[in-house]
Amino acid sequence: MTTLTHAPASSRPIPNPKKSLITRLHMGTGMVVGIIFCWGTYFAMKAGRDMTDSHNVNKVLLASMMMWSFGFLVGIGALIGPFRWLIGKDLTAEEQLYLAGDGQGVKRYFKYCTDHKVVGIQYLVGVMTMLGAGGTMAMMIRTNLATPGSHFVNPNVYNSLVGLHGITMIIALIIVSTGPFGNYIMPIMIGAADMAFPRLNALSWWVLFTAIPVLCSAWFLGGIPTGWTAYAPLSDQAGPGMNAFLATIIIFALSTAVAGANITTTVIAMRAKGMKWNRVPIFVIGATISVALAVPAFPTFMVAMIQTAMDRTIATGFYDPNVGGSGWLYANLFWIMGHPEVYVILIPGVAALMEIAPVFVRKPLFSYNAAIAGFAGIAGLSILVWAHHMYMSGWMPALNGPFMVTTEFISVPTGLLFLVLIGTLWRGKPWMKLPMLSVYAFIWDFLIGGITGIYLSDVPADNYLHGSMYVTAHFHYTLMGAALTGAIGGLAYWFPKMTGRMLNERGGYISFWLVQIGFNVLFLGMFLAGAEGQPRRVADYAHLFAHANLISTIGAYSVGIGMLTLLWAIIHSARSGVVAPMNPWGAKTLEWTVPYPVPLVNFDTPPVVTSDPYGYGRSAK
Amino acid sequence: MAHDTEFHIHHDSPEKVGRRERLGVRILIVADGSFLFSMIFSWFYLRNLNVNGAWLPKGVHTFTTSSGYMAAAGLVVAAVAHRIGEKKMEARKITSMVAFLALIFGLYYQWHQMAHMPFIAQDDAGRPFYNGAYASNWVLVAGANMFHYLIGGFVALGLVIRGRRASIDPVLEEWRQRIAGSWFTWIAVSGILCAIATSFK
Amino acid sequence: MVNHEEEVLAPTPGQRVGTFSKRKDVKRTFWLWLFFTIVFCVLGRLAYPHWMPPVLSKEMQGNEDIMIWFTVISAPIAGIVLAVAMESFLNMHRGDTPPEEGVAIRTNTPVVIIWTAGSVFFCIVAIVWGLVVMNTDATKAAADSATSLTVDVTGAQWNWSFFYPAQNIHTHTLNLPVDRPVTFNVISDDVNHSFWPVQLGVKVDANRLATTVIHATPTKVGVLDVKCAELCGLYHAYMETSGQVQTSADFTSWVSSIQATGGVQQ
Repeated sequence: MTTLTHAPASSRPIPNPKKSLITRLHMGTGMVVGIIFCWGTYFAMKAGRDMTDSHNVNKVLLASMMMWSFGFLVGIGALIGPFRWLIGKDLTAEEQLYLAGDGQGVKRYFKYCTDHKVVGIQYLVGVMTMLGAGGTMAMMIRTNLATPGSHFVNPNVYNSLVGLHGITMIIALIIVSTGPFGNYIMPIMIGAADMAFPRLNALSWWVLFTAIPVLCSAWFLGGIPTGWTAYAPLSDQAGPGMNAFLATIIIFALSTAVAGANITTTVIAMRAKGMKWNRVPIFVIGATISVALAVPAFPTFMVAMIQTAMDRTIATGFYDPNVGGSGWLYANLFWIMGHPEVYVILIPGVAALMEIAPVFVRKPLFSYNAAIAGFAGIAGLSILVWAHHMYMSGWMPALNGPFMVTTEFISVPTGLLFLVLIGTLWRGKPWMKLPMLSVYAFIWDFLIGGITGIYLSDVPADNYLHGSMYVTAHFHYTLMGAALTGAIGGLAYWFPKMTGRMLNERGGYISFWLVQIGFNVLFLGMFLAGAEGQPRRVADYAHLFAHANLISTIGAYSVGIGMLTLLWAIIHSARSGVVAPMNPWGAKTLEWTVPYPVPLVNFDTPPVVTSDPYGYGRSAK
Repeated sequence: MAHDTEFHIHHDSPEKVGRRERLGVRILIVADGSFLFSMIFSWFYLRNLNVNGAWLPKGVHTFTTSSGYMAAAGLVVAAVAHRIGEKKMEARKITSMVAFLALIFGLYYQWHQMAHMPFIAQDDAGRPFYNGAYASNWVLVAGANMFHYLIGGFVALGLVIRGRRASIDPVLEEWRQRIAGSWFTWIAVSGILCAIATSFK
Repeated sequence: MVNHEEEVLAPTPGQRVGTFSKRKDVKRTFWLWLFFTIVFCVLGRLAYPHWMPPVLSKEMQGNEDIMIWFTVISAPIAGIVLAVAMESFLNMHRGDTPPEEGVAIRTNTPVVIIWTAGSVFFCIVAIVWGLVVMNTDATKAAADSATSLTVDVTGAQWNWSFFYPAQNIHTHTLNLPVDRPVTFNVISDDVNHSFWPVQLGVKVDANRLATTVIHATPTKVGVLDVKCAELCGLYHAYMETSGQVQTSADFTSWVSSIQATGGVQQ
């Protein structure tokens, strides 16, 4: 056991393990090796294969993409640790300190750095990039739909836009809170020196990173025609771009499993002394339930993707009815992942807002136990509701009744989340700062998302609404209105701790109102189109729906401008914003007890917790 | 399975670190378990659905029931050997080698099965395809077994090499043995479950 | 905000502030609740019938009823959430320093219990409503099976085709007689589609090599739009056709006109 005494970074020598390979590896070497592996595999496999056979094309492309990912990890040094373990020469303490990136400045953001704060920033930049890409695609979709008969893009490009917007946003939203805040803030919140598995932490980010170029490559391979749900047998029939989708999901599922195991273990086993379960901040509880739900959920998606890949490469027939396969198998596997995944996205966002509300209302969180019951109830029920996406698929209509029962009951724990928030607001005088605005936006957006969910989960109403724009509007209200709003609130709240500066208020306010007003115009318009009978994912529509779609498009541009404003505010504030005090909001959680920049091991002396962090307010009696 | 975190958790005891690392591995096992569940779900779902009567089209050959258990045997032997080694420290040099060799033989056996699949047919253009949903599912299960053999083999090789090096901290090594034990036990269980599933033709 | 109000809003320790219903914040919340509830009820009652297409079947009427009445039932609950949120929003504190400490309400067990019980009750209403409608539809479909008109629907990339077995006609528009139950047997030639005769308010996926069945009873004469509600590839958006719910006499003459051209619609 190596012991390290903590000293201020300035007085400590920068570790420099000479001769060690790890000092010479970074993102650049990763990309070089990744590209070599990728093209090497491509040319080696292509030689002697009949490339007119789509199975061979798929084989070559999938293998090249997976080898890019593997090569990148080799090149950045992710495999040095396992290899050194294998040959019995474990990493030395000096090498580990080097990996933590202490004193390496900006360079460490481009290295295989195990410091959870570096990983958190990497996730933040990654998420913002993905949201930017997904948002741009959304703008193109809305531009095409502004008027009927528009030919801004052709149907093939349109379908690819729909699918790639979907999957990019889903991936971005899954990590939008647990990535940046779960990695940067959460370990400090629970008084830990780092994550339980720092190297796995770096691995989860860099594995995810390798998925980004793979997903982008879909554009150069003809796009994907299937939407993000990638239903079979349409995916069996799809062109080479589909391989990029499959590889992305397989890579992403690996990253999620690793990150999920890491965050869950950290929270269970690394809490500060005295932080009993009833003293854990609610954001930590929410993030943990979310990733713990993701751990068993995503492998089913991965299996569905592997089966699709096998159908497409070696001619198995999982989804080919001629040889005994069935699209219903795909739909089941996909939605067994798909519905928990919705709550994987939702819960951390809500939990972040529950962390924010007490601070700005200066009142304790109302009924901490109800909040936990709400999260746990949602997580528990979410694995029993998947077939409500399949009411109209013809798969076992007899089960529609039972699935309707479980689905409707999700509104009970969801109701508890509302109760906790409005109970916290009740009789309070909220301090109307940027993070607090998101709480109100969430309440409005998620209320609409929740109530429309009640119609959709009712089988007879779903007879009409399934597959229509109404569904699209509903899940945007829940995922964007709740999860993304929560994450933006979280960013405004934790920005001072992550960058040392306050988020520009004026920019934040302008962005907030542009986004929220635009968002409601956009998706109320889409509810209208759906109720009128417009199917979702259509590149063109009848004149009947013209007004509703034009309204939506106007709203979308407002969201776009608002998001750009937020981006400007973030960049501007991070570079030259007002320097933040240690605890600008007067909050009581542990992350506000450490200075910026946060020391390598977070706390000079391990903190001891004696109460929960919600001791605000005067006594009521 | 190696997570060297000593320097980060400078105020934690080795035993606490050991517990934490076992927890992490067990959570990863949950993820792998969900993967296994999905495969077995696919197996029985398509078998019961029997679309187009093509779970097993006429004239398609299957593997024998025992071949599934044979494919799992290497995993089971490795798990038992490792468990003995965990209990008896002096036998560890032998048991780790037994576990490693069992996994290598098992890997070879599984590969051999996959190289001689009896259900590949050819379409009109002379291209091979998997005839029937049984065939599709079987190859996926076999692939998952291969994956377990590979990861298990990596861990076992590590333990063989490390068991012969004197310079390794025995305390740290002790809980690494137990982490590896969780993994070996799991892949053996998974192998048996796969064998049971594949016996339903 | 004036001083005496603040006193009412934030009682000091040990001080009783009169009955709950006399408190200013409670009163204001009540009026806000009433406002939001009425707005939601009116919106639900007026907006859906206005937005949704003409109701041409019993099933579509059932869907529209659910949309309207679920909105009305959920309006009071949504009203509470919005009223409390709005009340606190109106009390906002601005500036660069945190506001004074609020009242330390950790929880309120009766409120949590009532809220949970209320939402369970609401759930049960929604579930029972749905199950009753499903059951009524299913029973009716079984009872009607002898007299119903059968239409075999085939989805293929990217068009719909219909076969009326009793009449032995192949068509590409969907014409149906009014007031006669219809059974649709739906299948796909290739990938998944979803058969959606919009004004009938029913929908089912078309799968390859697996027939799915739905029933509907047209109750009114009018124009039908048939769409595909499952992304099915390049021209998914254009996979649509039209049809009509007609009087019996019109339907019979439509059938005869097609039979006259060899049983295939031109």
